[in-house]
This record gives sequence, C-alpha cells and structure tokens, in this order.
Amino acid sequence: MSQRQGAGNAGAEVEAGCRIAGLVKSYRTGFWGRRRPAVAGISFTVARATVTGLLGHNGAGKTTTLKAILDLVRPDAGRIEILGRDHHDRRARARVGYLPESPYFHDYLSAAELLDYYGRLCDMPARERPRRALEVLGLVGMAQHARTPLRKFSKGMLQRVGLAQALLHDPDLLVLDEPMSGLDPLGRREVRDLLGELRQRGKTILLSSHIVPDIEALADEVVMLQEGRIAGVHDLRVGAAPTFEVRLDGLPSDRRVADLLAGAPRRAPSGRRDGVCVQVADLPRLRVLLALCADEGIEVLAVQSRHGGLEDAFLRALGVARDPAVGLMSRRAPDATSEASRTAEIVRLEAELSGAGEGGRR
Amino acid sequence: MMGHVHAVALNTFRETARDRVFYLVAAFGLLLIASSAVLSPLAIGAQGKIVADVGLSALTLFGLLVVVFVGSGMVHKEIDKRTITTVLARPVSRRSYVAGKYCGLVLTLLCMLAVMEVLFVLVSFVTPAELHAGYALAFYFAFLELAVVTAAAVLLSTLVSPLLTAVLTLALFGVGHVSGDLKAFGELAGNQTLRAAMQVVYCVLPNLEFFNIRGAVVHGEPVSGAHVGLASVYAAAWIALLLLLSGAIFARKELK
Repeated sequence: MSQRQGAGNAGAEVEAGCRIAGLVKSYRTGFWGRRRPAVAGISFTVARATVTGLLGHNGAGKTTTLKAILDLVRPDAGRIEILGRDHHDRRARARVGYLPESPYFHDYLSAAELLDYYGRLCDMPARERPRRALEVLGLVGMAQHARTPLRKFSKGMLQRVGLAQALLHDPDLLVLDEPMSGLDPLGRREVRDLLGELRQRGKTILLSSHIVPDIEALADEVVMLQEGRIAGVHDLRVGAAPTFEVRLDGLPSDRRVADLLAGAPRRAPSGRRDGVCVQVADLPRLRVLLALCADEGIEVLAVQSRHGGLEDAFLRALGVARDPAVGLMSRRAPDATSEASRTAEIVRLEAELSGAGEGGRR
Repeated sequence: MMGHVHAVALNTFRETARDRVFYLVAAFGLLLIASSAVLSPLAIGAQGKIVADVGLSALTLFGLLVVVFVGSGMVHKEIDKRTITTVLARPVSRRSYVAGKYCGLVLTLLCMLAVMEVLFVLVSFVTPAELHAGYALAFYFAFLELAVVTAAAVLLSTLVSPLLTAVLTLALFGVGHVSGDLKAFGELAGNQTLRAAMQVVYCVLPNLEFFNIRGAVVHGEPVSGAHVGLASVYAAAWIALLLLLSGAIFARKELK
C-alpha cells in the first residue's frame, strides 16, 4: 500500500491523488436479484505524481473500482477521496480525466465537436476550447482527423480520441481503464511515451489493465486485484534490477561463495542437465562468482538473467507458483498472514480518513 | 449548472437534428398538412375548417411521434452505448444532465412545430382557411402539451425500457386527454371505489385536454387570457414536478 506523500508545506499533510478505504461494491444479478460482490473491501492510496496500476484478471474488480472513484456506481461501503475531496464532490471530478474501457462516443459528432462539447461540460472558456481541442488531438496523433465524424473511426482511433478527451481540461488525476486496448504496437508505444511525459509533468495516473507488460512499462506501483480483493501490492521502483541464474558443474570452494549466494536458493538443474543452479542477486556478485569459477576451473554451463518482476509478483499474489523445472503453475492456499495485514491496513486507512474528516470539520 | 444544462441540451438538439427518424416524422407531418389543402375541397363550405383542424392536429400528432420515437430511447441509448460515462465523469450533476436532455428535446420539438406552423400558414394562403391570432395560441398550447408529455417520457425513460417508455407515453397521452371525462364518469357511476379510482387517475396524470383549444380556434371562439395563463402555469408545474422526479431517480441509477 502506498503511503508516500508528495512534497508540501512543512507540517501540512499533502493530499493524495486518490485514496480508497474499505471499498465494497456488489451488483444484483439474476431473476431474484442476488447480490454478487464485485469489490470486497479494498483500500489503497495513489500518491501524487505517480503512476499506479490496477492489475487483475477480467472480473477482478478493476473497472468497478474506477467507476466507483468517478461516482458512476454507488459503493455499498467505504470511502473515496479524489485530490483531498470526497468523490461525490463535483469540484473533485473537475480535476479528473477519465478514459473508459473500449470508449464509445457520440458518433454523429466529429472529434472537434466532441471535444468542444466536453470542454463546455468542464467549464472551459469558449475561446480556449478549439485551441485546446486541436492541441490534445495533436498529442494523440489525431489532429488531421479533427473534422471527421467519429462513426468513421476505427477502434484504435476511438481509443486515441478517448485519451484526448481525458486530457482535454489538463486534469491533475487521470483515471484510465485499459488505455492500451485496441492500439497497434506503434500506438501502444506512443501512448506509453505520452503517459510517461504526463508523469514527468507531475500528473497522477491510475490505470487498469490485465496485460502485465503494459502495467510494468508504465506504473510505479501496482495494486493486484483478485476476485474483488487486493491480492498484493508491488512497487516497481524497488528491486527492479535483474537477478541471475547460473548453472555450474560444481561450486567453488572459496569461502566467499557463501556470501555471494547468501539467502539465494540453490537447487539441482531441471531435466537431465548436470551441475548445480544458483541464484545471484546482482551483476557485481555475478562477476565475482564467475572469476572464482575461472580460478578454480569450474565450468560455467549457463547464465540467465531473470527480471523476476511484476509477472512473478502477480503470480505469487494470486497464489500461483511457477515451477521452474517444468514450467507448470500450481495454486497455493491463500496466505492468512497477508489477509490479516490487509485487514489491518483497511482499519488503519479508515481511521486515518475519519480523523482527517473530523479535522476538516473542526 | 446552467452551463452544463445548456451544453447537454445543445448536444441533444444536434443529435436529434441529425437523426433520420426526426426527418421522417417531420416529412410525414408536412405531407399531412399539405394534403389537407388537397382534400379540403371535398368538404364543401368547410374547407377552411378542415385545413385548420387537420393542420393543428398534425402538429400535435407528429410532435408526439418525435417525443415517442426519439425521447423514449434518448437516455437509454447513452447508457447502452456508454457515451454517458465520459459525460458524467465530468463535473456534471445527474440532475443537470436530465434537465439538459429534456431541454434539448423540447428545443427540437419547438423547431419542428415552428417549421410545421410556417407550412400551415403557407397552406392557409392557398385555401379558404382564415388566419387569425387564435392559431398562434393553438400552436402555443400544442407546444405546452408536448412539453408536458416530453417531461413524462423523460421520467419514464429513467425507470423502464425504451419500448415500455414509448408505450406508456402513448398511453399517458391518451388517458391524459380523457382523464377529465373519467373523473366525470366516476362521479356519475355512484360506486365509491370507482369514483375514488377515477379521482386518483385524474390527480396523478396531467389533464392534457386542458391544452386542447383546437376546436375553439377552428370555430373562431375566443380563448381567455386566464385560460392561457392557467395553462402555462399548469404545464410549468407538471414539467417541474416530472423533471424533479426524473432527476432524483436518475441520481440513484447505477451506470455499470
């Protein structure tokens, strides 16, 4: 859970980009209207000027969470703050740009007309609207299609217009639901670059995806969802350096080897291969290990870098363990410790929010 | 808030103005008014009245069809196509959105009625129909009536499906025109339950017959200023009530 706060005045708590505490949302389904939980008590904070990713399977609760933030669906319980204000407050939504999943717009309008309409809804001055519309269409590479009716646009073009409308009023918080969906490889690259540039400009971005590389390429921190619960949180800024898996035909006898491999797992190689596999935490240690092997004449059979990044963390969080020997995945039982720490986090955030609310009223 | 209502209304107007259904209905309306000039010679001595009666009825009928065809699915379409999410994710209240949708449709109606009225006046020049100020009042009353029906359609569209909205709007239009008769029937029937039921129908539905001055206008009977004022206030009260209810219901709607 992110608890970082941006820089601010001494002694004053700086507002988070978005703060969610104990969010619960269920939908009525079927003839009898039975409630099906979509989000079951999640809490997290999106720090200012960061990119936070919501990662999860289809149906994990990502879109519901984003819609709850924007007051499009009403939570059963929990509290949501956008930029220091309650999410029901329209002044908060004035500072948010939203891109829905597979966006669809009024197809009888041209891209410029659509942005003018949205500009009016954002209370943008009439003189500023056409200039800003062209500017954001240029940012997403659609300036030449400003006068084309939206009904003639492809899915990828609509996605770009969706991004343009989200950026139109220069919002402080961007909420993007599957922003890469429908884009070709070049488009994905352009959007990634654009979002990176927005982060550099201090924008706060909350984006959802079920595509691990998309999130990995953009996010600073990832909240992993499974069946409406937070399965884990992964900080991509920490431990992002690669580790190495080295296959040797024996271990050097030098006493420094123990330090080089301290805490790292050691196992027999998979299949019919000989030797021993060791994990090395970083490149300097790898260099020392290889030098020791050369000194002692130990053959290095293979060296493989392992990023061990988000995908592994995601699989671990979902309770799916990757078996390195055969490449199969198996599910493990839920971790009672992480469940307990999650509950404690919810309680802590709720207390923090209610304290802030009382402070505000005073 | 008014800025948002204005923006949604203009966009709704643009949507309906670019909708084929709207042109189809408008074309039929114009055709009917024009055809009354062709058919009127069949009614010897009453050609003017035929043209006036058919023309004024066509105004209301085709205005009603616009409300039913366009208005009943207006909000649903935005929810189904999810165009509504990017609108309501902005600092726009749901009440403003509903009010904007209503105003946009009423603006469409007004434009359509104005075009039909112009054609009606042109047809009157080539037929024995005698133009007088009463026709302008009839046009105004038709507009008031359709504005109330549109508000009812908007309320129904926040509650039920587009098809049911269309059916119920047509039913409301029909019952609204006979609610006064139903009340009178209940009083004559002598049955307490029937009387109470008819009284309820009369109270919960707008009395649309109050806006029907076509007969009076065609026969050259005067329409009092009090009737005009009362009809305006009556329509405004119903519109306000129906839109308040629509806003309150729509504010609680889940946009999944």
